[in-house]
Amino acid sequence: MPDWKAEIVRRLADPTLASRADIVEELAQHVDQRYRTLLARGLTEAAAYEEALQEVTDSVGLADTFRTRMRPPAPEAPVLGEARGNLLSSIGQDLRYAARMLVKNRGFTAVALIALTLGVGANTAIFSVINTVMLRPLPFAEPERLVRIWESFPEGGWPTFSASHPNFLDWRAKNTSFEQLAAFTDVGLALTSQNDAEILRGIAVTADYLPTLGISPMLGRNFRPDEDVPGGNTRVVILTYGFWQRQFGGDPDVLQKTMTLNGAPFSVIGVLPESFAFATPTLELLVPLAPDPARSRGDHRLRVIGRLKPGTTMAQAHAEFSAIAAQLATQFPASNRGWTVVFRSFYEWLVPEQSRQRLLVMAGAVALVLLIACGNVASLLLARGSERQREISIRAALGAARSRILRQLLIEALLLSLIGGALGMAAAVGANRLLLAYAPDALPRLNELSLDARVLGFALLSAIVTGLLFGLVPALQASRPNLTDTLKEGTGGGTRRQRLRHLLVVGEVALSVALLIGAGLLIRSFWRLQRVDPGFDGTRLLTMRVNLSGLRYPNGDARRVFYDRLLSDVRALPGVEQAATSSIVPLGGGNTSTEVKLLGRAQGTGRVPGADWRNVSPGYFRTLGIPLRGRDFNEADTAQSQPVTILSEAAARQYFPGEDPVGKTIILSSFGDNPMTVIGVAGDVRNNALATDAGPTVYGSATVYSGWNPMFLAIRTAGDPAALTASMRAAVRAIDASVPAYDVRTAEELIAQSLGSRRFNMYLLGCFAAIALLLACVGLFGVMSYLVSMRTRDIGIRLALGAAPGSVLRLILSHGLLLTTIGVAIGVAGGLALTGTMRTLLFGVEPTDTVTFVSVPLLLIAVALVACYVPARHAMRVDPLIALRSE
Amino acid sequence: MLVKNVYARILDRELKKGSAEPIILALLEQRPRHGYEISQMIESQSDGAVRFKVTSLYPLLYKLEKRGWLQGRWVEKAGQRRRRYYRITAVGRRVLAEQRQGWERFAAAINRIVEIRHA
Repeated sequence: MPDWKAEIVRRLADPTLASRADIVEELAQHVDQRYRTLLARGLTEAAAYEEALQEVTDSVGLADTFRTRMRPPAPEAPVLGEARGNLLSSIGQDLRYAARMLVKNRGFTAVALIALTLGVGANTAIFSVINTVMLRPLPFAEPERLVRIWESFPEGGWPTFSASHPNFLDWRAKNTSFEQLAAFTDVGLALTSQNDAEILRGIAVTADYLPTLGISPMLGRNFRPDEDVPGGNTRVVILTYGFWQRQFGGDPDVLQKTMTLNGAPFSVIGVLPESFAFATPTLELLVPLAPDPARSRGDHRLRVIGRLKPGTTMAQAHAEFSAIAAQLATQFPASNRGWTVVFRSFYEWLVPEQSRQRLLVMAGAVALVLLIACGNVASLLLARGSERQREISIRAALGAARSRILRQLLIEALLLSLIGGALGMAAAVGANRLLLAYAPDALPRLNELSLDARVLGFALLSAIVTGLLFGLVPALQASRPNLTDTLKEGTGGGTRRQRLRHLLVVGEVALSVALLIGAGLLIRSFWRLQRVDPGFDGTRLLTMRVNLSGLRYPNGDARRVFYDRLLSDVRALPGVEQAATSSIVPLGGGNTSTEVKLLGRAQGTGRVPGADWRNVSPGYFRTLGIPLRGRDFNEADTAQSQPVTILSEAAARQYFPGEDPVGKTIILSSFGDNPMTVIGVAGDVRNNALATDAGPTVYGSATVYSGWNPMFLAIRTAGDPAALTASMRAAVRAIDASVPAYDVRTAEELIAQSLGSRRFNMYLLGCFAAIALLLACVGLFGVMSYLVSMRTRDIGIRLALGAAPGSVLRLILSHGLLLTTIGVAIGVAGGLALTGTMRTLLFGVEPTDTVTFVSVPLLLIAVALVACYVPARHAMRVDPLIALRSE
Repeated sequence: MLVKNVYARILDRELKKGSAEPIILALLEQRPRHGYEISQMIESQSDGAVRFKVTSLYPLLYKLEKRGWLQGRWVEKAGQRRRRYYRITAVGRRVLAEQRQGWERFAAAINRIVEIRHA
């Protein structure tokens, strides 16, 4: 038997290979088996030996063959192959490479970043609002124990109503559920100096108000119980931080000072911390309320809050309060019968259901915008993936693993999205500033708006999720290089990629349609609302508030003298056509309501649903352009004459159905217990909001009920009403420089303000929809341009074969139109499903409004046609020769 | 004639270069085999048209093993000398599937070219 091993070791000249016993053994076995086979075939031993050795004989040495074939692969280029070093350094290389790619493709990067900035920016801005309004805990200690309490008179149509002084005091004395129970009410305090007067926004609070909220003054002390009783030393004041800064320049010695408020000296006893901005950011002062047990139980003015004892639930406390209310109703049937109590948590009170719903609609809308942006960037990446097909194929051919290519592409997408996220964050900061500047009152707690770690986290997370979402599919597609496809289709990309791009465009169009439908409904609502007849003539009308709370006007008589003179002076001003005063002007904010009793009615005590009441001077209806039948109030109506009232049409219909109320009598609790004779019926006015139907309103004469303070002065002018602002103020100052005249607004401003939050909704959603439309069109434009560039050769052939350019145009347009129509159909279906959630935001239009559902698709198709037309025209002008040669 | 022979040799060499890997992987798809068995099967199944010598077969086997497509293991059976058997790995199976596809496309491409020539 020949010694094959020795032969092989001799031929393997390389000692390192020759020393590998296993290789030598394996090769020797092979040669040996060959030898045996040859012998079996009948060869002689010598012939078989020669033949077998042929296996290991070559012109090139055996060792060389081995070495060449077994050479370890050459180290790969950093971006091409598997990382050899540590993971971090290879990711660093990927990042640098990604950055270079982004800089290189500036057009692509710019478009993608714009889409991402808009998407992430809008989302972050809305999220920061949601975070502030809904997610952040209320700025009080243990806010879950805080409760807002109302009186309620369902029979009168008042589900929530302020509490009366004696009722509040009885609740406080009798309940065992609350650690503290506090009441407060708004007050305007006139800060007077020698030549000027200013109204400060304050609240009168009980001494346990701050302890209930868990807040202590930053300087000084809280009110003492002896300062919170009628007849006590109530001339003490606590300043808010903002007012302390503004008025006293943050002087730490402010506690020694006194302020003249309403003509009387008040000692400053404390300053609230800066963080205190409870519901009213413009609040300036706190003064003692001193609740008075002697006041009428029918006079409901107090807002009540309480802190539950630990372990007591709101339901238990409510049960106890209901029992107390029932007891009071038995004890004081004239004022308390039918009155009960309603509880809400602070969160439900401060962030009402409707605000939350609005925010969620907006959040949904921006999420759609982000999805569209993702779709856009994904479609851009897909197109670019096709262009980079050769690069990726070469890398793969050089041995780069798919996972490595995938990682590189994902890092590029993530880098893009992180830059987009950072830009979006900056955009969100800008958007928030705009929001605060233009719509500070659009939502509760908006004054607390700021960016915090949660918002930053959200922006980062949405950027990363976006990056993965739009980066993954194109990366998966691109990292699956297919040599034959690449060769076959040039830089075109496969049909699967094309399908994916079509799918993205259809999705973007569908989402934009859904958003546009939402925005369209809001625009239609707003349009309807602006055309609502408010019930008064808002042109050339100026209003202003006048506050007579100073010591010089202690009673109705003094005030009446002041207003009589003011009205006659103002009427004499050039440019003033009419002038009147009123306790509240329509849409001026605030409301007053009264119980109504009808005489001689069979049912029960004759109590019927209540009415809003207003105290107006003679000439009020004429000044505001409210139609009036019967007679107006006049100077002959005094406290001594027969009490008279004017009803609104709605009140007349409600209380005297089918009858003429003029000459009939009615009891209105807010004007006293005497029956009042109806002397006229005035047109209905939307007093509280344009979107709310005018409820029953009753009017009393300011010549009789002259104690109300502050009053509005309204003037009808011959020209521009705002031009008379200075002369109105001067007229007040001429009578008494210590009387503050403030809140000067034209009726147009009042209407605009009352529409503020709806306008805000409309602008916001409209803005999102516009972004969505823009992004969808950019997407469509991109896909159609790409399609044209892909089909250049095909189009060239068609043109060369004599196709009319018009038919090429139609070909491309119909392709784009097909994608758009599919998207529109899906979007309309989505819109039908989604707009139901917007019902409370709408006015005068149904969520399925035909006009919107028809015009939005038409708009989108029209815009899409424009987006397709440019590439289609390009296709039409393809030069067949150039097109064919380029392939 | 001479020209034709030269082309035939080049074609043979090129085909072998490109096809050696799938051939080996395919032969190991069913069960593990040792080197000699592999060379015999190639020869017999190609009716002698393709033959790998030790100098081309084993370096290739070692290379594929190094790539992780194959795994070689010495096996001793009663009454026989020990032999090194090669088994295809999971990675090897995936590579084989890809190479099969590539081969099919390549063959289809050739067919197309041939058809065009005939047209």
